Amino acid sequence: MKTLAKFNVNGEPYELIIEPNLLLIEVLRDELGLTGTKHSCGVGNCGACTVLVDGEPVLACLSLAMAVRDKEVTTIEGLSDGPHLHPLQEAFIDRGAIQCGYCTPGMILTAKALLDRNPEPTERDVREALAGNICRCTGYVKIVEAVLAAAEAMQKGAAR
Amino acid sequence: MNEEFSVVGKRIRQPDGPAKATGEAKFVGDLRMPGMLIAKVLRSPHPHARVVRVDSAKAMALPGVAAVITPDDLGDWNGFDRGMKDLPLVAGGYRIPPEEHVVNRTARHYGDAVAAVAAVNEHIAEEALSLLEVEYEVLPFVLNAEEALGSGAPQVSETAPGNIGKHLSYPYPEGDVDKALAEADLVVEGVFQTTKQDHCTQETAACLAYVDAAGRLNVWSQCQLPHLARRELANIFNLPVKKVKIMTPFVGGSFGQRGSVCAEPVAAALALKTNKPVRLVFSREDNFLGLESRTGFDKINVRMGFMKDGTLTAIKTYMLGHLGGYMGCGPMSSVIGMTLSMGHYRCPNRYGDSDMVMTNIPVSGAMRGFGNDAMMFCIEQLVDEASEKLGIDPITIRRKNTKEPGETAAMGLMLESSYLEECMLSGAEKFGWNELRSRPKKDEGRIKRGYGMATMSHCTGAAPLYLEHSNAMVKVNEDGSVDLTVYPAPVGTHIWGALSQICAEELGIRAEDVNIVTGDTDVTLFEYGSDASRSTYAIGGATLRAARQAKEQLLAHAAAMLEVPVEDLLARNGRVFLKSDPDKGLSVGEVCYDAIYSFGGEATNFSGKQSFEPTWNSPTFGAYFAEVEVDTETGRVRVPRFVTAIDCGKAINPMAVEGQLEGGLQQGLGYALTENFVVNETTGKVETANYDSYKVPGTLDMPHSEVIIVDRPDPKGPFGAKGVGEPGMVGIPPAIANAIYDAIGVRVRGLPMTPERILAALAEKGEAKGETQ
Repeated sequence: MKTLAKFNVNGEPYELIIEPNLLLIEVLRDELGLTGTKHSCGVGNCGACTVLVDGEPVLACLSLAMAVRDKEVTTIEGLSDGPHLHPLQEAFIDRGAIQCGYCTPGMILTAKALLDRNPEPTERDVREALAGNICRCTGYVKIVEAVLAAAEAMQKGAAR
Repeated sequence: MNEEFSVVGKRIRQPDGPAKATGEAKFVGDLRMPGMLIAKVLRSPHPHARVVRVDSAKAMALPGVAAVITPDDLGDWNGFDRGMKDLPLVAGGYRIPPEEHVVNRTARHYGDAVAAVAAVNEHIAEEALSLLEVEYEVLPFVLNAEEALGSGAPQVSETAPGNIGKHLSYPYPEGDVDKALAEADLVVEGVFQTTKQDHCTQETAACLAYVDAAGRLNVWSQCQLPHLARRELANIFNLPVKKVKIMTPFVGGSFGQRGSVCAEPVAAALALKTNKPVRLVFSREDNFLGLESRTGFDKINVRMGFMKDGTLTAIKTYMLGHLGGYMGCGPMSSVIGMTLSMGHYRCPNRYGDSDMVMTNIPVSGAMRGFGNDAMMFCIEQLVDEASEKLGIDPITIRRKNTKEPGETAAMGLMLESSYLEECMLSGAEKFGWNELRSRPKKDEGRIKRGYGMATMSHCTGAAPLYLEHSNAMVKVNEDGSVDLTVYPAPVGTHIWGALSQICAEELGIRAEDVNIVTGDTDVTLFEYGSDASRSTYAIGGATLRAARQAKEQLLAHAAAMLEVPVEDLLARNGRVFLKSDPDKGLSVGEVCYDAIYSFGGEATNFSGKQSFEPTWNSPTFGAYFAEVEVDTETGRVRVPRFVTAIDCGKAINPMAVEGQLEGGLQQGLGYALTENFVVNETTGKVETANYDSYKVPGTLDMPHSEVIIVDRPDPKGPFGAKGVGEPGMVGIPPAIANAIYDAIGVRVRGLPMTPERILAALAEKGEAKGETQ
């Protein structure tokens, strides 16, 4: 039976009437049109569908939408403001860390959660944080470089 | 030298970067249309079975179900070859029979499509699938190539008697290989085996199709050969080509998998049947079962003859490959493998042949390397073995046999450029090869460390075997910007950036002033497409020529405006100016504006349109260095460090070249060690249809990687560029195999080199733990 549910996504409130068995990825993509969140393996093995729920990375393909009611959901669309991109987004572009771009939203959001809790990560920290996100194009080299570069840029930005 | 180019050779940002970083980029599965239906495919649970009957009454009765297609509903739709090699693409009359259908009466492998549904949403479509009642007549099946060749083996296809899909020989044999082997001082030989590898594109296969009011079939496709997909779909549905339009949004990876039509036939069929937009997105399992994966070889026999001084005198090969239930792109992987195995070493006596065999497993096809990966795994291990037996250093023996420019390259063409020697030397220096290999071996406990290297060459495009026809159109706007109309596959290779750099360099403008117009067969000229590491070379070649044509008009008009001879002018940094007096000139925009807004009857829009069909190809060369740690207790291999040195001509964008090599390393590492496409020998079921059972390397598995770009221009490539898509992965498995030998003294002849294989090899040598009391 359909239920009225309140969501908070990228700072915007939504009231939706949905089937309670809908997955978070279905609500984001099909109900809200936030197609930046990607579907890939469907079983929680690849990280493509990663979004942030109250700042923590969550796999949207495994989460029921009803479980994130009244929590703050951040998708890739919530990171930029028009042409003003998040330092992670800038670094990914600058460093060639994006090839096909399909894993990129999940990578950037997982990295954001890392930098929010650990602003000065080592290379090892970055590799460990991204261990659940599969990329088939880049070999991860430039992704790891981009996250470290973004961390440095954000530190400099914060110091200013 | 640094001032030679102002745009080429720069590490530019990609034009599609912001769209992809912000989630704005649309992939097929992100597209939707009003009234759109969602399609699903029913797959056979048997490796070989005839569909006797499908009862779709219950499925059709489910509210929200719009259509079901069963083998009874095909009408006059034609069969097809998914690899589109039923079209005249390959020289020499090579054809693949069009045996596959939208859905199939006889399932030829586990997961073959036997029915499809369209419904108003995903959940209803899923439920409709479960309501289809299929009666199967289960048929005997055969899973491996050797058994398929046996007398009395079940027949997979009527067009392949004895299950031999194709018997294919090396196209350029030379000398007398048996005599040379008999006369050789040393013969090294081995029987090798490789495996299917799934491309694991992060975006699964998808298609959105609809029929417009004019009766035209509009298809959003991921196919990397879009103009061929247009013709293939027209053939299947008996439509004139003009009634089919292909569009390509962003595509989440390819590596060869999008070289065939995948989701398109089913989505188009349901769109034609329902007259509604239909979107089909494969699940990950659909991808593993329903798409082509790398062609595996059950057996590769290789014999190589050497003289005492290390001179290679003979190579003889036989490949036994399994094609799966349909021929697809698979057969050519033996031809490409045999051809490229003769690519980088001078060898006067060469012969090879192959049997490509039909089996009841998912279809084999083209994946990055396309058979060269398999042959290099063999050849480069045997060269290593010869070097040890002859007492010659692995690099020295390779240098001795390396081809020079002017000699005959892999495909019977003259070698235009080769810096393989420089790759080996610079790679060895960066890796510390000499020091590491000459260190005394001390007992390191259960973890043994080893160092190995391998080399390879790979084609840039596949001339003269495949069609190599590309086109580009250049239009210069009144502000000096350019619209460049081309159709490379937007699969993530940074090709838009490379083409914008080539165009901008020639016209003397900035890369960011080039707008890529693409993704629509209505707008673009014919494009063979993106495969065989050809896009920068061939589409870039067309782009360079079209830009040059537009530049001639630009310079002529500027010469008239400035009242100077045209040969005195140079276009650079957005300006056209006198070579002798750089201050005297005009901006490119001023010249274009003057030409467009002209009232004298001579108004013109500078433009260029060029077709380019190279009849040659210029191979790329590489040297690969691996450090491994082998755990002799568990058999697990770790690769902590890897160095790749590449001669891909002039790097248009070094950052993009590095990206291709680093990405190739991930795929090569998986192919070498963990990616195992497992088919159950009893049931024919694919046991590895998602990432939980099929291990793709993650961040923690990746070595510390260093890339050296030799960066020497090729005489014929655009600004000296050669291909770099496939080379990234080809040399990885043999470098790792040779390092494993250095570590533990055993040769692993099968891929992937799993812990089980390592332990078995150690046991054979009598060194596995527990056997050495």
